[in-house]
Amino acid sequence: MITVVRNLYQYRELIAALARKNIVVRYKQAYLGLLWAVLKPVMLMLIFTLVRSFIGIETDGTPYPILTFAALLPWIFFQESASEGVGSVTSNAALIRKIYFPREVFPITAMVTKLVELAISSLILAGMMIYYEMMPTLQALWVPVIILYTMTVALTISFFGAAINVYYRDMAQMLPVALSLLMYGSPVIYPLTLVHKKLVEEQIAGDWSNHLYTLYTLNPLAGIIDSFQRVLLKGIAPDINALLPGALLTLFILPFAYLFFKRAENWFADII
Amino acid sequence: MPIIEVKHLTKEYDLGAVTSLKDTVRHTFARLTGKPTWQRERFKALNDIDFTVEEGEVVGIIGHNGAGKSTLLKHLANVTKPTHGEVIVRGSVAPLIEVGAGVNPELTGRENIFLNGAILGIPKKIIQQKLDEIIDFSELEQFIDTPVKRYSSGMTVKLGFSIATSMNADILIIDEVLAVGDLAFQRKCFNRMEHLITKQNKTVLLVSHNIRQVERMCSRVLLLNKGAVEVDDLPSKVCNIFYQQSNEIIQRQSKDSSLESARIQSSGEVENIDIQIYDQDGLEVSELVSGDPLHVKVTFTLNKAYDDLRIYVGTHRTDFIYLTVSGTSEYTDKLAYGEGENTVEYKLDSFPLASGTYCVRLAIFDSFERALFTGESLLIFTVKSNQEGALNDKWKTLNLPGGMVINGKEYRSKRHTEGQ
Repeated sequence: MITVVRNLYQYRELIAALARKNIVVRYKQAYLGLLWAVLKPVMLMLIFTLVRSFIGIETDGTPYPILTFAALLPWIFFQESASEGVGSVTSNAALIRKIYFPREVFPITAMVTKLVELAISSLILAGMMIYYEMMPTLQALWVPVIILYTMTVALTISFFGAAINVYYRDMAQMLPVALSLLMYGSPVIYPLTLVHKKLVEEQIAGDWSNHLYTLYTLNPLAGIIDSFQRVLLKGIAPDINALLPGALLTLFILPFAYLFFKRAENWFADII
Repeated sequence: MPIIEVKHLTKEYDLGAVTSLKDTVRHTFARLTGKPTWQRERFKALNDIDFTVEEGEVVGIIGHNGAGKSTLLKHLANVTKPTHGEVIVRGSVAPLIEVGAGVNPELTGRENIFLNGAILGIPKKIIQQKLDEIIDFSELEQFIDTPVKRYSSGMTVKLGFSIATSMNADILIIDEVLAVGDLAFQRKCFNRMEHLITKQNKTVLLVSHNIRQVERMCSRVLLLNKGAVEVDDLPSKVCNIFYQQSNEIIQRQSKDSSLESARIQSSGEVENIDIQIYDQDGLEVSELVSGDPLHVKVTFTLNKAYDDLRIYVGTHRTDFIYLTVSGTSEYTDKLAYGEGENTVEYKLDSFPLASGTYCVRLAIFDSFERALFTGESLLIFTVKSNQEGALNDKWKTLNLPGGMVINGKEYRSKRHTEGQ
């Protein structure tokens, strides 16, 4: 893990240059440029708001559009980081075959690239907060920590996925399907408070309710999205109980994912 | 302590396509349950290679296609890992393997300079300092802010080379990159490489098919053959061995295909063409000594009689540079040829070319300049050097008689003084 951080520092210029390239290449010939990055969360927010007017989702007082937008930001950041990260090694085949540098530079670069898009979407969120007259409190200082945690989760998936994708391109096909399923298993359309209320307070699944809630929060995104909404919109500290299961799971898997990636790395140039 | 150490390096590749997920699962299952597993055929790209390079050495690596040159460089650049053995590199490596690997077509020239610099590990500050120099060297001032996708291929390569050679590394790895751009730019690249090698005293590994270049620039040459180091010696020795091998291959190939080889056009009116060369005593040979007479005999069969034919016999090098030719029309006016077998002999009093492999060509036209037959590489023969211990034949193409006057005393080349 220390080597990752050291490499990260040593290769910071390369990561910055590659991320810059990614962004420039993606938006270069597009007239609207970086505005396209905010289109996806905005559209989804509008659709969810529309759907909610039919089916009714309890939001305990926070206006639904901003609640779901604040959920979409970390979610889309995670989703795109993971899928970009998984494809990052294969899409740089030319470099892999010619020049050596630690290959984890590629998934990390994918995260950094998405960070820029996240920053732009955040401007929209800031605008909405002004509209709804929500003042950020000191709790907003948690945001960088939450984003860093999200990147760690996406990186864990990327390490596994990118290495497997070099051998079996099935990975890149499978991931979008898996991720869109995961969205329904994450508190994006509905808030975590609703899940908590149904399972922990109302015990609708009987004896299994508490276990099911733990299982639900094993998904790191549950804690991430909930914390993001809490610290920004509600001005309260993150809910450690919701964060802990997912965080433990991530910390447990990350070293394995990294070692797996480093082991597979030796044959990237031969197989890719 | 050597800067590069290669110990028993072996690299194997699996032949055939990458195994499907199904095969992998079955394979793993078989291994887990202790059943016999099956192996795909493996190919040894590198076979037990051993060598060391000291700091400041300029080592050329030559070999025929598929000898393992590029695979070896990939190991030195740490792009791939050995199957067995070990590669130790003490110092930073700048791989100029195929210039332009990192050039992105969407970015402008200037953006690419920074991106490639970062990829090659050059700090941004240094690139900023060298930016003008790089742009200047690439001769692309006018286009530097245009996306590279609108560049010509030559321009892209120029850009790549300019970036790659501007970095400071202990070891330079160069694979065929000098053959870029037009002649003038090649010259410039060449000078820059020589500057890097001689002035900055860097360790350089150079892979090229341009043997003359390797011979000129390197202090030591490795000849690879089928993944193994065949010879590791001084450039002149190794390059000579390589030339011999190449000529043998060319000769073998042309023998296999004999008269059906390419570059033959025939209208079908001339058949059974047979070409032989003879020595002074009238014996058929395939080898002669430089400066000896050349005597080529062409036998052919005509379908019908012609009242005039123009027959040209000549020689050329294996790279199709024409050397000599004579036509019947130079010596006679109209001359009739009867139906059936005819012979034409081509006699040169001296064939003064340096040792090497040469070929015979033949063309037959009728009186209306219509080609009945044209062909090249119809017969291959070798020329041996005529002097023991003379200057190496790589320094010359022609081997003309002559002499030198040293301090007033005239010295003639032995062979020709003997004869006269």
